[in-house]
Amino acid sequence: MLRSSAVSLALGYIALGITALVLFAAPLWYAWQVTIQEGRIEILQVDAQRLAEVFRREGADGVRSFIDARVRMQIASERILLLTDESLHPLSGNLPVWPPDVPLVPGNYKVRMELGDQSTQMALVHVATLGNYHLLVGRDNALFAPLQTRFWYGLAAGIAVLSIAGLLIGLITRRALMSRVHSIRQTVSAIIHGDLKHRLPTHLNDDELNTLSRTINGMLEQIELLVHGVRNVSNSIAHDLRTPLAELRSRLEELALIRPSPEETFAEVDGAVADVDRVIRIFDALLRLAEIDAGMRRSGFVPLDISDLTANAVEFYAPAAELENIDLAAHSDGALTVSGDPVLLAQALSNLIDNALKYAPENGAINVTVRNRFDGSVEVSVSDNGPGISDSEKSKVMERFYRGDASRGTPGVGLGLSLAQAVAKLHGSTLELSDQNPGLRVAFLLPLEEPQTPAHAAVPQKSAAAEEAAPATLASG
Amino acid sequence: MKILLVEDNERVTQFVVKGLQEAGHTVDHAGNGRDGMFLAASEPYDVIIMDRMLPGEIDGLAIIEVLRKAGKRTPILILSALSEVDDRIRGLRSGGDDYLTKPFAFGELLARLDALHRRAEGINTEAPLSVGDLHMDPLTRKVTRGSRPIALQPREFKLLEYLMRHAGQVVTRTMLLENVWDYHFDPQTNVVDVHISKLRQKIDAEFERPLLRTVRNAGYTVTADE
Repeated sequence: MLRSSAVSLALGYIALGITALVLFAAPLWYAWQVTIQEGRIEILQVDAQRLAEVFRREGADGVRSFIDARVRMQIASERILLLTDESLHPLSGNLPVWPPDVPLVPGNYKVRMELGDQSTQMALVHVATLGNYHLLVGRDNALFAPLQTRFWYGLAAGIAVLSIAGLLIGLITRRALMSRVHSIRQTVSAIIHGDLKHRLPTHLNDDELNTLSRTINGMLEQIELLVHGVRNVSNSIAHDLRTPLAELRSRLEELALIRPSPEETFAEVDGAVADVDRVIRIFDALLRLAEIDAGMRRSGFVPLDISDLTANAVEFYAPAAELENIDLAAHSDGALTVSGDPVLLAQALSNLIDNALKYAPENGAINVTVRNRFDGSVEVSVSDNGPGISDSEKSKVMERFYRGDASRGTPGVGLGLSLAQAVAKLHGSTLELSDQNPGLRVAFLLPLEEPQTPAHAAVPQKSAAAEEAAPATLASG
Repeated sequence: MKILLVEDNERVTQFVVKGLQEAGHTVDHAGNGRDGMFLAASEPYDVIIMDRMLPGEIDGLAIIEVLRKAGKRTPILILSALSEVDDRIRGLRSGGDDYLTKPFAFGELLARLDALHRRAEGINTEAPLSVGDLHMDPLTRKVTRGSRPIALQPREFKLLEYLMRHAGQVVTRTMLLENVWDYHFDPQTNVVDVHISKLRQKIDAEFERPLLRTVRNAGYTVTADE
């Protein structure tokens, strides 16, 4: 229980309270003691002086009668008076004998002595010598004892109240905290056991725990979303990898069973290798997607001319488009330097163009456009005049492995748009699908490199890089 | 070629050693980093195939770094199961000359080893290239077959130049993508084949003997041999 934060906090506060109380009481106590002591000694001295005055005026007898009168007047033995002769024989006063602890030297002493019927008490005494006589003037400290006791009791009571109240508050707080922590723990253990739908209980007020609970709920929301995504992806992977793996398996099993002629066997082995290659291709695409999604590729961002990159991608696909009589053209607003990952952007563009090529009709047209929007961003779009995508399908096509009805029978694994979307996201944008009537237009934005840099400044840089790269490429021969 | 294979996986080792020996190469094998380092530093090899992740204290990249610091210039091909772009960059930065991701096709490995070996022999990038009656002058960028000039677009020129520099060798589609287009991804479709067939139209169509040939399950080669 001492480990409970509420209790240890309460204990800390109690200790602090006691320390404060003691710090407050100690000087008070000290001041009281010193002041009272000094005051008393002063009174005793004045008393002794008055007696000395009497002695000087009226001699020892005068003092004796004065003391007697004083003793008689006193009801309580508050004041102690004793006059003895040289041999300490008491002459007058309310003490039967000279207290053994009190020396005969003039001065102030604090001694323990027998006072009448009472037991030993602390007394403050002043000793003076009047001629051959010894005078003792004293005061019983016991008079102030109740006050002192009350002071100590007060202090003790204060400490007690502080401690008990503190502990109680600590325990109550602990109970309240424990009950809330308990409910949080229950929720969390339900989540640990796999039920991600649970949320922490929250109240309307805005205390610390509630704020924390809300934050955790937000986190749970995100986790649920991610887990859901991962589940979807793994289902899709399982589905998409199973097909080629099943084909591969049956191919090999059949081979082992029927043991055909070597020529046939070789053909089957080639087919098996092709199956494996398909699996590997899906794997690579998924790994690339995961890599982009993890956001780790930001390190690969460099200033690049997006118009140049686009023109290259279009040039790369030009012969393929030509073969299908599709008019593939690149349009751009001149050199535009953006910050991006050249490898991923090239891959995303290649996927988009590849997609467009699949859906554009014979004698169709595909336009790849790079447009400066003059708001610090560049729009890259790929549009075709194919069948387009219905609104209901638009959200689905971004999903991994989704393949529209129109794509049946075309090569590909259904990751092209997801990958382009992931790349767009990495560059702070998102893939936008719109209708061309007919056809599909896919666009995304890229942030323009600092506008103050003139766009043409990037061109020599780029061509220098290209020149550098060219011999390296040739040198690999 | 005398080749060193540093690889700990037995299946991969068996597959690579057998294949390389069948292709007429001499192969030494080291199963861990320490042996690999020792052999690579003490024996003269034409090419080293280095697995990236090795048992023992030393991994492939560390060996490459040590060899390069010691002044060894033997071309090194890194084999790795790590396929991320950054891994590739790190591998090449450590001093490797090429990077091949597992799993790989044997033809791809062989073609890349040939390319590395030829690169190490040193080439004159300005000297004219010839394969049979096909001639190319990299300086004037003129291409002729027999006496007939052939007009090529810049990318076609680059493609043909790469193929001719590797005349007699198999060049894979991936190698063409990486070296001609600088594309380090798989475009999923047969775009490279389309480029090749277009090039073939220009250099081979009207001639009796085709120079640009398809190697089944591997890639392409430019050769004047029968």
